[in-house]
Amino acid sequence: MAERPAPFWRRLTNSAGLREPDRGELATNAIPFSPPTARVPRPAADAEPAGATPDAVDSEVLLAVWFAREQDDMLVWRTCLPGASTAEIATRLSLVPASFLADDVAILPLAENILEMEYGAVGSTPPDRRGQEVLRIVDQVRATGSAAARRGAALVLWLWASEDLNGPLSVPLSPVWYGRAMAALSFRLAAVVDPAEWVRTADRRDEAARTFLLWSGHLPAGEDEATARSILAMRDSLQQNAALAQTMAEHEHRLQVTKQLQEARAREAAARYSNE
Amino acid sequence: MAVPDPDDPLALAEYAPGGTVALTDAERWPTLDVAGAARLDAVQRHPLAPAWVHRTGDRLTADGVARAQAALPVTGWLAEHLAIARRLPAYRRVADTLGELRTWPTVTRDDLLENVSAFVPLDADLDRMIEGSSSGTTGRALQIPDDIEEVARSFHLLVTLVAEQGIDWRPDPARMALAYLVHQRQAFTYTSSISSFGQSTMARLNLHPSQWPAPGQRTGFLLDQQPQVITGNPTSLAELLHPDLVAGLRPLALFSGAMALSLALRRDLEAAYGCPVIDVYGLHETRPIAASTDGGPFVILDRRVHVEVLDGSGHPVAPGERGEIVVTAGENPLLPLVRYRTGDFGRLVDVAGRPALADLEGREATRFLALDGSLVPCVDLTQQLQAGGARGWAVRQGVDGSVTATVVGGATGQIGTALRRLLAQPVTVTAVPTLLDLGEGKPRRYESEAPGT
Repeated sequence: MAERPAPFWRRLTNSAGLREPDRGELATNAIPFSPPTARVPRPAADAEPAGATPDAVDSEVLLAVWFAREQDDMLVWRTCLPGASTAEIATRLSLVPASFLADDVAILPLAENILEMEYGAVGSTPPDRRGQEVLRIVDQVRATGSAAARRGAALVLWLWASEDLNGPLSVPLSPVWYGRAMAALSFRLAAVVDPAEWVRTADRRDEAARTFLLWSGHLPAGEDEATARSILAMRDSLQQNAALAQTMAEHEHRLQVTKQLQEARAREAAARYSNE
Repeated sequence: MAVPDPDDPLALAEYAPGGTVALTDAERWPTLDVAGAARLDAVQRHPLAPAWVHRTGDRLTADGVARAQAALPVTGWLAEHLAIARRLPAYRRVADTLGELRTWPTVTRDDLLENVSAFVPLDADLDRMIEGSSSGTTGRALQIPDDIEEVARSFHLLVTLVAEQGIDWRPDPARMALAYLVHQRQAFTYTSSISSFGQSTMARLNLHPSQWPAPGQRTGFLLDQQPQVITGNPTSLAELLHPDLVAGLRPLALFSGAMALSLALRRDLEAAYGCPVIDVYGLHETRPIAASTDGGPFVILDRRVHVEVLDGSGHPVAPGERGEIVVTAGENPLLPLVRYRTGDFGRLVDVAGRPALADLEGREATRFLALDGSLVPCVDLTQQLQAGGARGWAVRQGVDGSVTATVVGGATGQIGTALRRLLAQPVTVTAVPTLLDLGEGKPRRYESEAPGT
């Protein structure tokens, strides 16, 4: 890579403020991913490195953006297709160049460049409708002012772009779900786990890889829906954060009540007896 | 899919016959026996019956029948109610600050419009949910989660109120138990069996002449059914003063709701039928709150309802002073409301040792004079304003008959066209950006100074 600089880096260097990495200058020196054999207990909050967990206000803001999308994860699970393995995705995460997570990265130009490469690579005319959707979401990321969301978005962009540098995934991703995956990692996961942890820590890397696959419309290779759901539920930092889990439960409640009201309206009313 | 009448430019799809029929009869009336089904069928297929728009039941199971017949206990209900409400999503961020009722913030209709699910308990049994729309005269339609058994129980509240007048209302297989009357251009109409009242029949009937094409059909049907009790609003109850009906109907009691019942109409109805006329004050959101049997103050009902009267800044007014009626309502388990601002105004007084609401304002029964001389009830306008997507409005008719409509949101062109057709005259429609532009609190949304309205 260093011997023959790709257009990839030239473009990003010019427009998004990224520096072409030296060999081995990764966000982590962690060895390529190997699945944890058992869930590692999460460190107590006061033992977390500074900045490891987004602050509460940040989290609420990001989750509000996520919940406003009214995504129904049950539906997403039901429509997932077999995809790449979590190991593949996790390895890509561990290979992210440090410059992607730097504070001075201009996330919107970075997204524009990478999407242009992506859509160019599949022969579409950029920016198409889906590309515009992703850019809208990245602009939302920028608007939140959240460093966690920005890093989360950058990591998703890296996962898409890494095919140029590290070869294609065993099962290609569908651009149809790029926007959804971008939102899920930038707003839902980044709200509760700083993206730096997605790179540094095996459990969190696995969580990020699984989250990415899910919202990209894929089950991890070799897993059926029940297995994949069970493992992700065990990893899910949002569900394990009591306060934020309550926010999530309320969001799901809202979806459920709204759905039931619509269904009840579509079915038929019940007899009533007087004016109210 | 329901198709509105192609010849009627004001027809709305949801009122097309059969438009929202989805269940089987076994689901509508799980306990219906052969005799009950025969009674129901006789009403449904009566030769003078109107074209029913809807088919609907009370959906009560055998256990549900027993529960619906019993009023919920009221001892200690408020503390229990606040404990439930404290766990609602709506209060999560302030739950620690909530103590006695007076420490709770008030809730408005806009809060429910914004996110009604925040007021539905997280552990509520949503399988019992039915959807109720609160349209009435209070603005954009609000979808309300109603509870099947609570709706059924509301029938037995009527039985109790009749009993308090010394009248024994029991199922009579030879008579329809209840006729629920409306008088509007379009309405849901249906007949049903009341599972918890001897499987007696009831019907929601639209007295509008357009629904009864044959001469004498309306009178003939009502006289044949002989409803024991009749409910409605002032507009529909006024139709009962037709001499043919007065001569033949023998109701045990009449109930009025939704809009203010004038003393004159009350007296006319009492004189015509010689039975109690009970005016019930309530909102769909809160369920029935109070009742007046004599045209005086509305006595707060002995059920899970607590009434306060607050000033503009949300503080209780002095006893007997006028203010906004704020209700804590615990009958509907799917919508346990605390300090709900009704937008209605009145004074809290004492009537024979019971709290009551006097000088109640906010339930105007307004009618508009159309160019052809007919009187159009405001509910007909409400349907078209809501169909046009308006979130709020104020419609006024001057003494010269001219009509202006001020609306918030919606398609003003569509609304203007619909109102012009309804009233057969030009209507000036003006859009304003917010509900506040209509005036503070619940705006006086319909007003007509035209002669005869």
